Amino acid sequence: MPLSSLAPAVLLAAAAIALLRPGRRPQLIPLIAEGTALAALALCLAGAARFAFLGVGQGGGHDGSLVRLDVVTALVAPTVAFIGWVVVRYSRTYMDGTTREGWFHALMLMVLGLVLLQVQAGSLALLVPALAAIGLVLRQLLLFFPDRAPARRAATKFTLVWGAGDVALIMATGLLWLAYGTMDIATIEAAARLAPLPPAAEGAAGLLVLAALLKTAAFPLHGWLTEVMEAPTPVSALLHAGIINSGGLLLIRLAWLVQASPGGMAALVMLGGFTALFGALVMLTQSAVKTALAWSTVAQMGFMLLQCGLGLWPVAMLHLLAHSLYKAHAFLSSGGAIRAVQATRRPGPVATPGVGAVIRAFGLALALYSLAAVGFTLLAGPKSPQALALGLILVSGVAYLVAQGLADAAPRALTQRTLVASTAVTLSYFGLQALAVHAAGGTLPAPPVAGALEWALIGLTVTSFCGVAVAQALFPHWAHHPAAAGLRVHIANGFYLNAALDRLIGGFRTVRS
Amino acid sequence: MFHDQPDIAPAPAKALFAAAEAAMRAIPPAFPLDATVAVNPFLGQTGEDLAQAAARLARVAGVRLTRNRADYAAMIATGEITASDLAAALAACPHPGKPAHGTALTALAHQDQPTPQALPTIADLAARATGTDWPAIIRRCLGLWAAGHFDRGQALWTPAPGSSAFAAWREWATHDLTPELAGLTGFCRHVANCPDTPGRALLRAAAALDLTAEAAETAFHRLLTDLGGWAQHARWLQWQAELAGDGDGTLADLLAIRLVWEEALLAHVPAVAPAWAEVLAAHAQPVTPDADLVADTILQQAAEMAYQRGLDTVLGGADTATSGDRPLLQAAFCIDVRSEPFRRALENQDTGIGTLGFAGFFGLPVEHRPAASDLTEARLPVLLPPRLRSSVPLPPAQDRQRRIATRSARALGRFRQAAVSSFAFVESAGPLYALKLLRDTLGLGRAHGTDPAPAFTPALSVDVKAATAAQVLKAMSLTKGHARLVLLIGHGATLHNNPHHSAYHCGACGGHPGDVSARLLAGLLNDPETRAGLPAHGIDLPADTLFLAGLHDTVTDRVTLYADSAGRDHEADIRRARDWLDRAGRQVRLERAARLPGASAASLSARARNWAEIRPEWGLAGCAAFVAAPRAVTACGNLKGRAFLHSYDWRADRDFATLELILTAPVVVASWISLQYYGSAVAPTLFGGGDKLIHNVTAGIGVVEGNGGTLRTGLPWQAVHDGERLAHAPLRLSVLVEAPRHAIAEVLARHEEVRALFDNGWLTLFALERGRITARWHRGSGWDEAGLARAA
Repeated sequence: MPLSSLAPAVLLAAAAIALLRPGRRPQLIPLIAEGTALAALALCLAGAARFAFLGVGQGGGHDGSLVRLDVVTALVAPTVAFIGWVVVRYSRTYMDGTTREGWFHALMLMVLGLVLLQVQAGSLALLVPALAAIGLVLRQLLLFFPDRAPARRAATKFTLVWGAGDVALIMATGLLWLAYGTMDIATIEAAARLAPLPPAAEGAAGLLVLAALLKTAAFPLHGWLTEVMEAPTPVSALLHAGIINSGGLLLIRLAWLVQASPGGMAALVMLGGFTALFGALVMLTQSAVKTALAWSTVAQMGFMLLQCGLGLWPVAMLHLLAHSLYKAHAFLSSGGAIRAVQATRRPGPVATPGVGAVIRAFGLALALYSLAAVGFTLLAGPKSPQALALGLILVSGVAYLVAQGLADAAPRALTQRTLVASTAVTLSYFGLQALAVHAAGGTLPAPPVAGALEWALIGLTVTSFCGVAVAQALFPHWAHHPAAAGLRVHIANGFYLNAALDRLIGGFRTVRS
Repeated sequence: MFHDQPDIAPAPAKALFAAAEAAMRAIPPAFPLDATVAVNPFLGQTGEDLAQAAARLARVAGVRLTRNRADYAAMIATGEITASDLAAALAACPHPGKPAHGTALTALAHQDQPTPQALPTIADLAARATGTDWPAIIRRCLGLWAAGHFDRGQALWTPAPGSSAFAAWREWATHDLTPELAGLTGFCRHVANCPDTPGRALLRAAAALDLTAEAAETAFHRLLTDLGGWAQHARWLQWQAELAGDGDGTLADLLAIRLVWEEALLAHVPAVAPAWAEVLAAHAQPVTPDADLVADTILQQAAEMAYQRGLDTVLGGADTATSGDRPLLQAAFCIDVRSEPFRRALENQDTGIGTLGFAGFFGLPVEHRPAASDLTEARLPVLLPPRLRSSVPLPPAQDRQRRIATRSARALGRFRQAAVSSFAFVESAGPLYALKLLRDTLGLGRAHGTDPAPAFTPALSVDVKAATAAQVLKAMSLTKGHARLVLLIGHGATLHNNPHHSAYHCGACGGHPGDVSARLLAGLLNDPETRAGLPAHGIDLPADTLFLAGLHDTVTDRVTLYADSAGRDHEADIRRARDWLDRAGRQVRLERAARLPGASAASLSARARNWAEIRPEWGLAGCAAFVAAPRAVTACGNLKGRAFLHSYDWRADRDFATLELILTAPVVVASWISLQYYGSAVAPTLFGGGDKLIHNVTAGIGVVEGNGGTLRTGLPWQAVHDGERLAHAPLRLSVLVEAPRHAIAEVLARHEEVRALFDNGWLTLFALERGRITARWHRGSGWDEAGLARAA
């Protein structure tokens, strides 16, 4: 047993202690909570260290049937535990004097323990119940202010979607049992790696994709995630940085199985890609900081699903980790938004790049990309078409940064700085990807050889993302055009999918209390 | 105001517009959080007393304006409120429905008071009739629109600027399908068909709703309170416009928008018409407090009298004559209540130290432009328009460099935020956030450099320099007996990640720290040209007097001194002053830590750096008194950080111009602060900023709770409550002025609005003589010596 597998037990034990003092100012409980979270982090780091020094070469490095230690666990568990410690430490101060302070700490420890359990689970027999339990505990956290009607509505939506994901998972587990006679993830993966999927496993892969879509708040059932700001800030931080990852992690864990199902992969590309663009567009229109962050999570999770669908598993894992760290910080520091807005207004109006500048920016970014791609190919071996396509999407994003520096009104020093930043971003991007691919070794499958379907999906993805990127770079030229006003209303409302869901579940009704 | 109100309109229309105007005046302005100051939430009700205002706000908002009866009962039980307090408060109450005698009042204190219910809107009635939560849907739809419309740069894609609120909303609401999905079919068409100007929309809706002029005022007020902080933000836009001699129609737009909703809902649920007719009849009734509300306000007044009794014993009389020795050090602080403990502690260090209190903008109404910024900051009380300009004289190269740095950061921020590039951002920069998380969670790396001293731009002429300096020194009662070193200490708060940061700064500096004003004044007073001109104004400053600016950090109780123009001669004086300030700081930290939950004197600095801290300090919580008198009057007592202390020596104030200034500016500002705390403590749902745990910063101007909806203004619950009990005892301010009574009365006679505050009990006025309370101001009768409830 690796030491990291003790972390959930330690956290759950501390949660049990916290339950003894559920009320306000529960004496030592907040301190115990932080100490335990720190201990859990140390245990996870110890597990990762063991993997780094001993684990490689043990063929995936799994340890026993229930828990497993491999590269995914070794990277994800310490990250989650680190964020968990930051969040619990934050809560120690932030929640001081709240009516159900001890109860809050108990729930946070519990959910953190369950997430760490889920991350390390080596068997669906552990993974699936852990996910279901996360849903139950998180529901209680969302209902921390039970008198608030929007909180109850958010909790209802969450339970519906998360629960549906759990049902899909249970069915998938059943089918996998039928197909392979086991719930052990490593065994299933090995089987999926060697032979084409039997029909039951094919169905299981589809259900897994469905569960992942539900649990990562993918379109069209993303509504629950954009409403959970009804819970205190640390809950949002942990949810967006830790819990929301479980859907993606599920896919990465069973990557060989999922990749063997072209239909599932295509669904991931299309729904993930659409969710990414949809969420990112809606995010642009949101004037409340946490709401914008929630839409950003919808988008980022969609992007991660797209990466899974393209078979870029190590990159998807990198995205999960990077997003967790970024989003945890963004939520916890969201109180600084007033100052941040003020700071952006101080230096005066933003220089708007003209069409010429945008074209030059895309040219420059493309050149930068080509150089980096060639360089990294020489260093780290040839890249798959999927990876190159993803790089193109990155480039169109970087072009936006370059374009800001190329605007006519931008001083030369600003141009230089944005170019340096763009180069740094590009290098960091390729460098981190190369690292992730290297770290994953043979644990995760390489992207599938591109056939007609794959090429069509790649083409669709690149065109739509680059199209949006061009539109975004030219944004100031059309965003305030009267013709765009109506579109903006619909986008700001998330195309009413959430309102439609409200109508279905009675979210518009008065609550009898 | 309604810009489209026709000059010639039929009488009923005119009456409706007048009612709307009155309802809009009843809404207090809310200052955006980037530079927020306390506002009296009862600004629109100062013409009536607490009981009357309570009746009005009960009708339009369903809130209570006093504490729970149980709180008063507890204070009576512990003897904090005595029978004589109750009797005096009862006697002072002008309302006919008051309890017959003290025993009846005490009995009432032991009964729960009924929770007031606001008169329903059509949305409320429709919700009851249909089971669809229309008020919540309106909050949600309007909140999403308003957040975008008022956005100052939080979202990357904001609506096209330049439209009025009404036009922008019509554009929005003709496209927004949410109301239709919620069941209000045809709402988009309804909006498209409604008149395109707010005045005509209001008249059409009023006709559909059968609104009469009698019912309209509180009916409109009801709808505006429903809009919460959005209406208060619009009222602020109007406030700013009026300060600049202009007008603004946003609040009228919001009222019209809300009326369009009511009109649509009445058409959607015609069955509510009979109930609505009853509501209108209730609105048409005059606003009069019932017996319960009257009793509540008497109990509140008794609690205030109990405090005032204690105040008199703390002051305890003093010889106000100044001693002849030259002080070793003088230090002028802001009148802010947080200065009182510090002044006390500083004076404790040596008998040769004298302190004085003055509004923290030090009499300089400046609009300041910080380094590398296009934005200016109005660093003055919000009642005044700026009359001076200042900026930080950075060398142009340095200014450009800083701008490039902020612009690069902004470009990266937009890269992070924009649609497609956000994915690239996360994959390339996301891992760096591990370091940021570590830095912030451990509170590391927060040091900021100090900017060069600010300067007036354009520079003041020689005459203006001397005249301005003389005016300020006279207002500070600092015209003679100067020490070698005179400190001018503004205040500000260091904290992180707090949307309400500016609320902890100096209110007299418009919600900014006081360093700029203090440094400007120190520079002005040290300027040889100023010195040369002062004797002509009757002020002789000793040549060896140096003025030095400082900033008191109210979270850590450390004082930073800005030795901008200090020469060699004063090195020893400054070193000694720093030492005293350090020692005073230690003493204050001990005193303050006792009040803050979970704090120790040593941990206060850590609180300033903790990004999770929601109670960094108590701000002005507890404020209860304002004293304008020489420091000798207050020096021997412990006012426990609850009093604004304004230095004032009436003997030096020949034409009582300074007295007039004090009563019309600092006293009014202090009343705004005191009443904001009062409102946020007794009516947190209406006048409080909500729960910090679920704050969601919106539009760069304020916060909403949870997912969205109504902007929340006022102080967050955590700023007035420590988790177990109120940290701010809600008391209306007691104002004590050491000056001849006739002089005070004459000032009040000239200032109707200030007098109304005293007459209607929003403030209580006492005259001091040699540090003892000698008379109390009463509406109608003026000064009253006999009515003083002096402790036996």
